[in-house]
Amino acid sequence: MADAPKLSIVLMSGDIEKVHAGALMGSIAAASGMEVNVFATMEALKLFTKETVDKQDFRVGEIGMKLMEKNVDPYYKMIEDAKDLGDLKVYACSLVLDVMGWEKGDLLDVVDDIMGVTAFFGVAEGGQIMVL
Amino acid sequence: MSVQVDKTVDARGSYCPGPLMELIKTVKAASVGNTVEVWSSDQGSVNDIPEWVKKVGHELLYSEKADDGEYWRIAVKKVK
Repeated sequence: MADAPKLSIVLMSGDIEKVHAGALMGSIAAASGMEVNVFATMEALKLFTKETVDKQDFRVGEIGMKLMEKNVDPYYKMIEDAKDLGDLKVYACSLVLDVMGWEKGDLLDVVDDIMGVTAFFGVAEGGQIMVL
Repeated sequence: MSVQVDKTVDARGSYCPGPLMELIKTVKAASVGNTVEVWSSDQGSVNDIPEWVKKVGHELLYSEKADDGEYWRIAVKKVK
């Protein structure tokens, strides 16, 4: 769908609420026919490592706590589902991977590729960009 | 108005956007012309689902509160 409206979401914060909100908006956009590109960088990328999810080691506030208590689908599940329903890609910031010594295998399977900002600007070009 | 529902999705108890996502999944798998009814207790669904239906171009048949007032029944016809 080359002509689909495009939304790019830059996830920067490691707060689970922000990543949850970004995943939710991205899922709806993808399920509504938009092309969605999620770029996870800085603290947000930590939430896309297998280690963080395995240990459920999240930085949570009051709302995040409730989301978890009430078993609301977590951000990684929403992203997984959205990939089945539409066009949603997740890109990991190469700078953060380099400084943290992480590799592609350390990241969740929902991460499609690793790239820097230049390549991300390429995929985001012409669409709206949301930063969280 | 009598509508034949081909598939019912009971998404009561599921939080936003669960009911919408369940509906989308079911509509995708349905045949053109089929009607899918979703049951939702999420307060956002009553506004969100009609908006999605409008955006993607299906047909909203009805959106009504169930008799016990605890949830909504929203029916969508897949038109393409």
